[in-house]
Amino acid sequence: MAVEKNYGNSELENKLRDRYYYTSDSSKDFSDEVRKISGTISHMCYQCGTCTGSCPSAPRSSYRIRVFMRRAVLGLEDEALMDPDLWLCTTCYSCTDRCPRDIAPTDVIMAMRNLAFRKDIGPRNFLKTVQLIYSSGHGVPNNDVNRAAREKLGLPRDPPTTHSYPEFMPGIRKIIDHYGLKEQADKLLSEE
Amino acid sequence: MAENQKPRVGVFICHCGTNIAGSLSIEEVMDYARTLPGVVVADQYQYMCSTPGQNKIIDAIKEHDLNGIVVAACSPRLHEPTFRTATSEGGLNKFRFEMANIRDQNSWVHMHDWDGATEKAKDQVRIAVAKARLLEDLQPKSVAVEHAAMVVGAGVGGMQAALDLANAGIKTYLVEKLPTIGGRMSQLDKTFPTLDCSQCILTPKMVDAGRHPLIELKTYTEVENVEGYIGNFEITLRKMARGTYDGPEMIAAGREGSGCNGCGDCAEVCPVIKPNPFEMGMAPRKAIYIYHPQVMPLQYTIDFESCVKCGLCKEICGPEKNAINLDMVDQLEKVKVGCVILATGYDLIPIEDKTEWGYKKYENVITGLEFERLICASGPTGGHMIRPSDGATPMKVGFVLCAGSRDNTGGVAKPYCSRFCCMYSLKHAHQLMEKIPGCQPYIFYMDIRSFGKMYEEFYYRIQNEGCKFIRGRVASVQEDPVTKNVYVMTEDTLLGRPVTIECDLVVLAAAIQPKPDAERIRQMFGISKSQDGWYLEAHPKLNPCGTTTAGIFLAGVCQGPKDIPDTVAQAEGAASAASIPIHQGEVQLEPYFAQCVEDLCAGCGMCVPQCPYKALALIEKDGKKVMEVTEAKCKGCGTCGGFCPGGAIRMQHFTSPQICAQIDAFLLGGRGGEE
Ligand SMILES: Cc1cc2nc3c(=O)[nH]c(=O)nc-3n(C[C@H](O)[C@H](O)[C@H](O)COP(=O)(O)OP(=O)(O)OC[C@H]3O[C@@H](n4cnc5c(N)ncnc54)[C@H](O)[C@@H]3O)c2cc1C
Ligand code: SF4
Ligand code: SF4
Ligand code: SF4
Ligand code: SF4
Repeated sequence: MAVEKNYGNSELENKLRDRYYYTSDSSKDFSDEVRKISGTISHMCYQCGTCTGSCPSAPRSSYRIRVFMRRAVLGLEDEALMDPDLWLCTTCYSCTDRCPRDIAPTDVIMAMRNLAFRKDIGPRNFLKTVQLIYSSGHGVPNNDVNRAAREKLGLPRDPPTTHSYPEFMPGIRKIIDHYGLKEQADKLLSEE
Repeated sequence: MAENQKPRVGVFICHCGTNIAGSLSIEEVMDYARTLPGVVVADQYQYMCSTPGQNKIIDAIKEHDLNGIVVAACSPRLHEPTFRTATSEGGLNKFRFEMANIRDQNSWVHMHDWDGATEKAKDQVRIAVAKARLLEDLQPKSVAVEHAAMVVGAGVGGMQAALDLANAGIKTYLVEKLPTIGGRMSQLDKTFPTLDCSQCILTPKMVDAGRHPLIELKTYTEVENVEGYIGNFEITLRKMARGTYDGPEMIAAGREGSGCNGCGDCAEVCPVIKPNPFEMGMAPRKAIYIYHPQVMPLQYTIDFESCVKCGLCKEICGPEKNAINLDMVDQLEKVKVGCVILATGYDLIPIEDKTEWGYKKYENVITGLEFERLICASGPTGGHMIRPSDGATPMKVGFVLCAGSRDNTGGVAKPYCSRFCCMYSLKHAHQLMEKIPGCQPYIFYMDIRSFGKMYEEFYYRIQNEGCKFIRGRVASVQEDPVTKNVYVMTEDTLLGRPVTIECDLVVLAAAIQPKPDAERIRQMFGISKSQDGWYLEAHPKLNPCGTTTAGIFLAGVCQGPKDIPDTVAQAEGAASAASIPIHQGEVQLEPYFAQCVEDLCAGCGMCVPQCPYKALALIEKDGKKVMEVTEAKCKGCGTCGGFCPGGAIRMQHFTSPQICAQIDAFLLGGRGGEE
């Protein structure tokens, strides 16, 4: 376990934080669980960096898919699930396309997100999206600006989705309710 | 077992240190063996293969008048020869020995099941004893070995093997598919880690191979068919029509004139221009051509696929030389050899299929082999390193390592390491920094595998010279369509930051694979391949030059990726191994032949076409048709023995009574098989 330090200066403390890797930080169960949920050979990553090199998120953020793969290999559960970068993958699958070990890093991220959500970890924007899908069927619902733009392009004001066919909304809610997603999102957002 | 002899079997159980004794009860198995019918003595020892272990067998044979030996130990592949020797030293025919593999097939697989493993060992011993009771004296057959050898493929590996064989006094046919010997090494500029000029160290060998009185070069020639077995291979060669004759060929063909002297007048006048594959297509050649000035033999070749038969070459060659025949056809020739060494080498994979690196899509992405030709003084640019798009001198060059190697995604990619690309990329980086002041090479790598002698030191040197190493496998290469510069994208995994480097030129260290016709060659010579397609050695550690087919040996990359030092070492090993049976003059074949029991044979001949080795024939004998086995051809596969409707074919050492006794012993717990 990391050694506690106290310099009374949070910036300095963060800088001097103990970054030693203690094997006791590793959980084999976590590695196995990620492998099982992701359905990919997440333990076989050899850290080549092809994934990060392919990732559109990497040059724009501190997110490194390769680092999450390392955490999957070593079973660094807390480090993986508590890192806000976990939510910066766009699920574009570029890394999955190119990984020479034939691993699907995207699915590893999804598995970790699943495990995080089980531990009540989920960023606000994701939770809001759940609520929006529950209410409108859309992660990004139509709005007046869009409607005007659509009209200008000669399109109907609303797309042929739940916006035009609200009778399908109960079905969508049923699926979300089955997994208790909405309930969980409401709960987490209300705790903020 | 001779009918009038009562079985007297000795059983010896080996501990193999703790390999066996650590997983099952030796005592119990030994006590059990003593209860088996025919067993007169059972013993055990820590290492049966050691001298005291073998002496136990020898002494017991004498003391107990044994006529069958069973050793329960490791695999016959490992120690059958050892125990057969002990058996014969004890005064028995060496085929009166049977082995029970209670290690590889038992203790190693049932390491955690003491009781189960002990029971299984008892079964194995009982089965072996059942056979040992019925063993008979057999005489190995010896056949004469042709005092000649063949080497297929004349790269550095094949040439070295041929030179060694010839220097050992063995007539050697060196068969090469291309018009010249030399292989890949003749395409290289310098060689790591010493940086000696590749051609300079190779051409003396080419000349030696060409001039050696005991080497017969067979260039522009392919193997058409293979028959026979160790000592007596009959190989049909297809001498492809090359359109010209050299001196001796003129005489053989009964033609007037001196033949091709390599003057090259013909190529001057030939109107057809084609890319020269030796220069990786980056320089032209004519329809009548040589690959490069140092070819061996120096004899022109016509590519009849592009020749328009205008006859200009023939005209200029003139009646004095009269070397050209535009209507030449392929010729078949048969040669007899005792042993064969395969040295067929490798190709690069079609790296354009890994589209993310842009080969054949972007002009300034090339392979390592193209780099070799571009930096070589005798190459298409006279050694001026340029980039293909505009002929400019590249000042920033990216090297993409493991391009298609160590890659499990299937398609053209290879899961293995190609083993020399790290080192040649270091060499390329050095050559750039040496030739082009201010040129900055970037090596994108996962690991630098510099495992050979003086290789790590070479890595040190190149880093010290200023090469930049970026630890990250290249994710993609993209071209700026205006400047034709190429952007190399990866993550610097050591910094943990993505990086894009704009380069003038990108060199792909493409993975390698067996030659396209390696499979055809393999099947003709009846050898195996490993799962990655390379030819399979008989044993990865103890017999790396041999194959499981007697008389066939391997040299160089055809057996798996390796650099020149390893290729030459293996070639010398293969030559030495191949020369043994040739110098001995005869080989002993295991006497596991099929035998025709003439009284039972109906002469129906139905077995004859069944034999995969063409070992059977019908003959007339005492006014009756019977089948006859050519023992030297028979491999003892048993196909005919199982097939004969009349049961007239007896497989020596695997007779029906022996096999039935083993099955009975297993299924009936030892009550069967007793006479
Ligand atoms: C870009 C590059 C740079 C390299 N640089 C170095 C270096 O600096 N130092 C080093 O040690 N190694 C280097 N190597 C590795 C080196 O090329 C090989 O180790 C070496 O060429 C292996 O020799 P070989 O005889 O096994 O095969 P090859 O050189 O491939 O020769 C095989 C021969 O067999 C012939 N052949 C194939 N099939 C048949 C057939 N069916 N019938 C008849 N003939 C056939 C081929 O035409 C060829 O002539 C480099 C490789 C590459 C790609
Ligand atoms: S591309 Fe695959 S093997 Fe390479 S670092 Fe990413 S997940 Fe690991
Ligand atoms: S799927 Fe996610 S991690 Fe993979 S490249 Fe796309 S954004 Fe990056
Ligand atoms: S030799 Fe080096 S570049 Fe070639 S496959 Fe092996 S590790 Fe990769
Ligand atoms: S045992 Fe096999 S190789 Fe021998 S003759 Fe019969 S079929 Fe042919």
